[in-house]
Amino acid sequence: MKSIRKIFGLIVLSGLCFYSCETTDMDLTEDPNYLTPEQANVDFYLNAIERSYVSLMQNFGNYGAQVTRIEYLGSRNYLNAYAPTSFDDEWDLAYRQILADVEAMTPIAQENEQFHHIAIAQLLSANVLITLVDFFGDIPYSEALMADEGNFNPNLDNGAAVYSAAAQLIDTAITNFNKEAALEPEYDPFYNGNYENWIKLANTLKMKIYLQTRLVDNSALSSFNQIVASGDFITSTDEDFQFNYGTNENQPDTRNGKYAGNYRPTGAGSYLSNWLMGTMLEDGDPRIRYYFYRQVNAVPGEEIEPNEQTLTCSMENAPQHYIDGGFTFCSLPNGYWGRDHGDDDGTPGDGFLRTTYGIYPAGGMFDDSRFAPVSQGAGAAGAGITPLMLASWVDFMRAEMAMVEGDVAAAQEFVVSGTAKSITKVRSFGALDEDADLSLAPSEEQVNSFLSGIETAFIEADTEEKWNLLAEEFWISCFGNGILNYNFYRRTGYPTTLQPNREPNPGGFIRSFRYPANLVNNNSSISQKQEVTTTVFWDTNPASPSFPESN
Amino acid sequence: MTRKLQGFWTLLFLFSFCSMFAQERTISGTITDDQGMPLPGVNVRIKGTSSGIQSDFDGNYSIQAQKGDVIVFSFVGLKTAEYTVADVNTIDVIMEADQAQLDEVVVTAFGISREKKSLGYAVSEVSSEDLESRAEGDVGRLLSGKASGVQITQQSGISGSGTNIIIRGLSSFSGSNQPLFIVDGVPFSSDTNAQGDFVQGNSGGSRFFDLDPNNIESVNVLKGLAASTLYGTQGRNGVILITTKNGSGAASRKKHEVTVTSSIFFNEVASIPDYTMSYGGGFDQAFGWFYSNWGPSFEKDGVAGWGSDSAIDENGYLPHPYSTASSGTGIPQAFPEFADTPYPWQPYNSVEEFFRTGVVSNTSINFSGSSNDGKVTYNLSGGHLEDEGFTPENKVVRNNLGIGGKAELANNFIIDGTLNFSQTDFKSPPVSAGDGNTVFGGGGSSVFSNVFFTPRNVDLMGLPYQNPLTGGSVYYRQANDIQHPLWTVYNASSQQLTNRVYGSAGITYNFTDNLNLTYRLGIDLYNEGNSSYQNRGGSTSNTRIRSGFYDTWNNANTIWDHNLTLNGMYDLSEKIGLNFNIGATTRRTIYDRQGVSSSNQQVFDVLRHFNFMLQDEIQYSEERNIAGLYGQVELDYNRFLYLTINGRNDWVSNLAKENRSIFYPGVSASFLPTSAFSGLSSDALGFLKLRAGFGTSANFPSGYPIANRLSLDTQRWLDDSGNLVVSNTTNSVLGNPDLEPETMTEIEFGVESNWFKNRFTLNASYFNRITKNLLVNRSLDASTGYTSVRTNIGEINVEGLEIEAGLDIFKNSDEGAFNWRINANFSTIEPTVKDLGQDTDIIVYAGFSNLGNAAIAGKPLGTIVGSRILRDDNGNFLTNSQGDYVVEAGQFEIGDPNPDYTLNVSSNISFKNFSLNVLFTHVSGGDIYSQTIATLLGRGLTTDTDNRINPFILPGINQDTGEPNTIQINNSQYYFSNILFGPDELQIYDGSVIRLQEVSLGYSLPKSFLEKTPFGSLSLKVSGYNLWYDAYNTPDGINFDPNVAALGVGNGQGFDFLSGPSSKRYGISITASF
Repeated sequence: MKSIRKIFGLIVLSGLCFYSCETTDMDLTEDPNYLTPEQANVDFYLNAIERSYVSLMQNFGNYGAQVTRIEYLGSRNYLNAYAPTSFDDEWDLAYRQILADVEAMTPIAQENEQFHHIAIAQLLSANVLITLVDFFGDIPYSEALMADEGNFNPNLDNGAAVYSAAAQLIDTAITNFNKEAALEPEYDPFYNGNYENWIKLANTLKMKIYLQTRLVDNSALSSFNQIVASGDFITSTDEDFQFNYGTNENQPDTRNGKYAGNYRPTGAGSYLSNWLMGTMLEDGDPRIRYYFYRQVNAVPGEEIEPNEQTLTCSMENAPQHYIDGGFTFCSLPNGYWGRDHGDDDGTPGDGFLRTTYGIYPAGGMFDDSRFAPVSQGAGAAGAGITPLMLASWVDFMRAEMAMVEGDVAAAQEFVVSGTAKSITKVRSFGALDEDADLSLAPSEEQVNSFLSGIETAFIEADTEEKWNLLAEEFWISCFGNGILNYNFYRRTGYPTTLQPNREPNPGGFIRSFRYPANLVNNNSSISQKQEVTTTVFWDTNPASPSFPESN
Repeated sequence: MTRKLQGFWTLLFLFSFCSMFAQERTISGTITDDQGMPLPGVNVRIKGTSSGIQSDFDGNYSIQAQKGDVIVFSFVGLKTAEYTVADVNTIDVIMEADQAQLDEVVVTAFGISREKKSLGYAVSEVSSEDLESRAEGDVGRLLSGKASGVQITQQSGISGSGTNIIIRGLSSFSGSNQPLFIVDGVPFSSDTNAQGDFVQGNSGGSRFFDLDPNNIESVNVLKGLAASTLYGTQGRNGVILITTKNGSGAASRKKHEVTVTSSIFFNEVASIPDYTMSYGGGFDQAFGWFYSNWGPSFEKDGVAGWGSDSAIDENGYLPHPYSTASSGTGIPQAFPEFADTPYPWQPYNSVEEFFRTGVVSNTSINFSGSSNDGKVTYNLSGGHLEDEGFTPENKVVRNNLGIGGKAELANNFIIDGTLNFSQTDFKSPPVSAGDGNTVFGGGGSSVFSNVFFTPRNVDLMGLPYQNPLTGGSVYYRQANDIQHPLWTVYNASSQQLTNRVYGSAGITYNFTDNLNLTYRLGIDLYNEGNSSYQNRGGSTSNTRIRSGFYDTWNNANTIWDHNLTLNGMYDLSEKIGLNFNIGATTRRTIYDRQGVSSSNQQVFDVLRHFNFMLQDEIQYSEERNIAGLYGQVELDYNRFLYLTINGRNDWVSNLAKENRSIFYPGVSASFLPTSAFSGLSSDALGFLKLRAGFGTSANFPSGYPIANRLSLDTQRWLDDSGNLVVSNTTNSVLGNPDLEPETMTEIEFGVESNWFKNRFTLNASYFNRITKNLLVNRSLDASTGYTSVRTNIGEINVEGLEIEAGLDIFKNSDEGAFNWRINANFSTIEPTVKDLGQDTDIIVYAGFSNLGNAAIAGKPLGTIVGSRILRDDNGNFLTNSQGDYVVEAGQFEIGDPNPDYTLNVSSNISFKNFSLNVLFTHVSGGDIYSQTIATLLGRGLTTDTDNRINPFILPGINQDTGEPNTIQINNSQYYFSNILFGPDELQIYDGSVIRLQEVSLGYSLPKSFLEKTPFGSLSLKVSGYNLWYDAYNTPDGINFDPNVAALGVGNGQGFDFLSGPSSKRYGISITASF
């Protein structure tokens, strides 16, 4: 009996012990599916920050372009045009994927004396902060990124305070650029290690700050001119701050997003803006074949019969406010098949009919009137760019300052030189589409005559028209971005010639966007703005809807 | 069978008279019920004396007696048996149920058998008759309607799809609310490892599908925490205790027996809408190759007649869609034969013909028996199920094999064990959430999304689906921007092949008749081999999917469960009895996923990784240990007052040291006035029991919630030379070392009663459960640096009432007499969010952040939030210049998915050898956000929208004028712009439904007929499952079935994203025993 008990006990014990070491291990807290923060690599952080930065600017650029008619907006109501959830991605990119990474990277980089890593990160985060203020107004800053200290509800900081913090950050970045780094970044997709260009960009971003705050800062003009006098800013196209895309479709998809979404076997996915296409068509703008690619040569209601199946509005009459203002409605000639501002019709199967992005900046096809349908891999296969700060835009910034100073001659010079730089840059893209028949590309002569046309028009125009002309040319050169001109529009109210929303009463123009849903739903210190007409700190213009005039 | 066995024992008993010895000696034996279950605690005494003993755990007894003494065996609920001592020393006794008392022994936590009357909490039992020979092979779905307080929702009617089981409502919104499955005494994984989330596709079954319902002996549902305290954290959502035939040991004292069940069923789609036969595709009565069916009528004349449409010629023909498609689609080039083929303007029964009738066949075989002395028993079972879905290419095949046995050794040892193998092979076309436009999830594929809104003039079955040149999908849309459903069926699939081994081994040592020690090792090991693919050439916006992808991965899950228990049972005095159980247990769960994800298919339709240009890794693992110590003491006083006190302490491995341990106490009591006060028991009131219970439990987080992480991406980008650029970034989840377990407490009161000589039974339970320190995946404002953190906040209260009643309308115990019994169970459960902590007032925990289930303080848990119609200050709806409602985006409360009550009524009629069983279920209330309804209405597809002449004026205030809206809109604009694409609020419907859940007619061949055959019994059953339902508050023509869980198995409820119709099944099964 006793031996049986012993055997029994032995069986039980061995059974328990067989796995006891494993089953009673009560300390399994490390997640094997991730790295730990201690394993971080500074170069990997910087790579993440740079990629996230480009995505963020690309997204904000789209929003800015949509509300200002550079791109198409499909909503008849400005308040609801963007649901608060649509900004959740940007909010996450900006704070968690950029600013938090910068904060996590900096101490390690500091210790390794990787000053240039830090400088780039600081410069980019400064512009992120400015852009957040430009789009949302007041944002969390001084209490931000403190979740690990238990602050889940950071308060808002005044936009002006964030701006000045950003300006300081740029100065620190410049200091860091000038330091000797122990290790250089492994990968610099923007300037390939040319820190003179980085410093030029830093100064140009300071110019942007001064320009944007000129209505609330009396010294902005002189600060702006100080940098101009130094000459240490982006003036030439080869100093352009831009991101170059590749042609890889998958794992990772390195193509320009505008290309990936439109050069597909199911046709183009986006509509382009009738206002922008119409304006460039009317002006004979030499960039039109680079910007837009037409899949067909005629639009219903123009050269061909109206067709309810493919273009519903071709059967409809223009609303009264379009007729009164003489705006294009529904269709444009020559196959430029886009949509009016605010058109919210359903989507017919027109993916192979509508006009889509061309070679600049999307990396698609040059429009040589071939009228072939889009296809994946066509044109430059997506190897386009996202323009982030171009020499041509700097000229337009200076043109605005000149207008403010009353120096019309200088303004005229900058409008022309800015347009010329833009055209030169855009034309250089033609060769990227190997199949293109570039005989239809504008000649030097045509370009020159276009430029002189602008010059003449500017000289002949009255002040308001001068502003409108400046604005329109600036906007056309901004194609592919849209942040600067969204700010310009709120700062100046020009141009006054924009196509209005299809809806006669879409609500006041979006002077700042509502906060992301992620922010207001989860942060009890901040409540949602009930209006989109709230102005940001540097916008002292009259309230919407009387301003801006085109709404 | 039982009768024969009884005869055998009687015979044995008679033999014992042959030799008599008039001297005191030890009589021993085993007491079992008529099912062969051993009966512990039976009072055994010599007639005329007061001394007696009780049978032990295994029903064994021994008593001193003299020849001629009469031994009396008594047990509440059973007929008292008397045996006179003769020459043999062994008297085995079978005690029959006393119909007058109908009391019974039930299996409680850790397999401990208890008299039902002694329990201070509710236990629902489902017997094998309710599970065998059914058209549905999923044990979860078979429980539907059979126990009060148990809510069962199928993910869809796809054969082998997941099933959501919630007992007594949601008590947590971040942790799992799925109950614990205990099969033959050991934990059994009931996970649902969906392939992706509900957006990307939900294919994947729930692992309890691996059980063969025909092999189940009984199911006991422990609902409250008082019942499941001993299971600790695992038992917090209730426990489904399953005893399989292999594990029951029920074969004991039966002769060798073979049972074979063979069934064949037909499986059809149950929720086909009543599609219109009047109108075809287009908009505003004009033809177009659109998704919408608002085109011309199929009549030539009339306002909407096709005669006035310029696209249709005078003979009623259109150019073939494959001739007019854009050349960019490649369709006109690939199908030159359609260039001159006219396409008739007529309706097609596309959706109706897309589905098929699946055949479900099932064979189960069971061998059982015991050694002559009854000390060794065995059971062997096998099963084969082939369940063909009503959707083409959907099928699930299951093979089961199991063996179990038990042996009583001479040296006071009892050993027992079971080992089961199951193989489940599930295959389905991809299913994922969709709306009235397309499939969600970055352009995945879903077989249903694009089927249901096929315009009536589109010949789904007749239009070629494959481009003969490229193999890609082709369809009617002119830009080919929708995938042909048949292409999806034949070129995309999700498959899950699960091999599973589970079982347990136990060894018990009886120190004395009153004290034993048991060690049990449970193992449950499954390996899910998943594959998911789509050939290149799909019509989707996702480049990767378009390039063709092939993902294969294995989910290996292992549970090791050790349990050591000391059980004792003593009479402290004549009136006071004591049972106790003390134990220690550990449970280790290891989950490991490994696989490869390939894309960019080279040769069409070759599904091997070498045929794909790009590979990526799939890897994830998780391990967690839980150790527990537990104890339970049960006291009874004079068999009318019972008190149980129990407690358990658990330690978990994935929390910080100071938060790892938690103790849960429980106490419950049962009082039987009818036994305590002898005068109370009468013909009217035969039995009355009052009970009360208090239980606690806790919920431990899964995963690694306190870890801080860094995300690495080795393929973030390519540099100019084509080299990969690596990035690392702060993880979105903040680790929280202060995280604590979620705690739950529940009180429960109940009454159980039998009336009018057992003709009427009425049981009721009230419970109130409070969950505190909820484990919340709290979303953070990204400006904090993270987007979520696991934290503890808030309080949820679940209150509920369960009533079960049974009534014999006709009752006659004579064989073959007419009997009719009606059973009903009713439950109403109200989960309310009491508090969400100081700094948040809403948490959306399922669905999308702008359309999902939310916890809002003071509101029902699960409140559906989404956009609504914009209101003015007086609460009037606002309309815009188009006459449509203005949408207000945000998280507004738009629905409550919790039903008001659930009522299940079953009727059992037996007469002669026939029996007829009918089960109706009625769910009252509970809102559902239905994209199926919205899409079918918004696209003008069903008979509901056949009346298209009258315009609508939406009631509301025109926001431009401030005056009441006077703008007329037409039918299509009303349904399309408001019902389908308007505010989410308008897509909410009441989900009330009446359902004929099951109906069956059985016939057993008379015994006399079988006498000359080898059969012991032979029966036939014709049955149907979900044959009829009516969601009476939804539009008639939609035939919508609200029993769908579009968000998958989890805590989301009340959503339908076109993710699948339901099924109905009917057929016949034969059961024979030899």
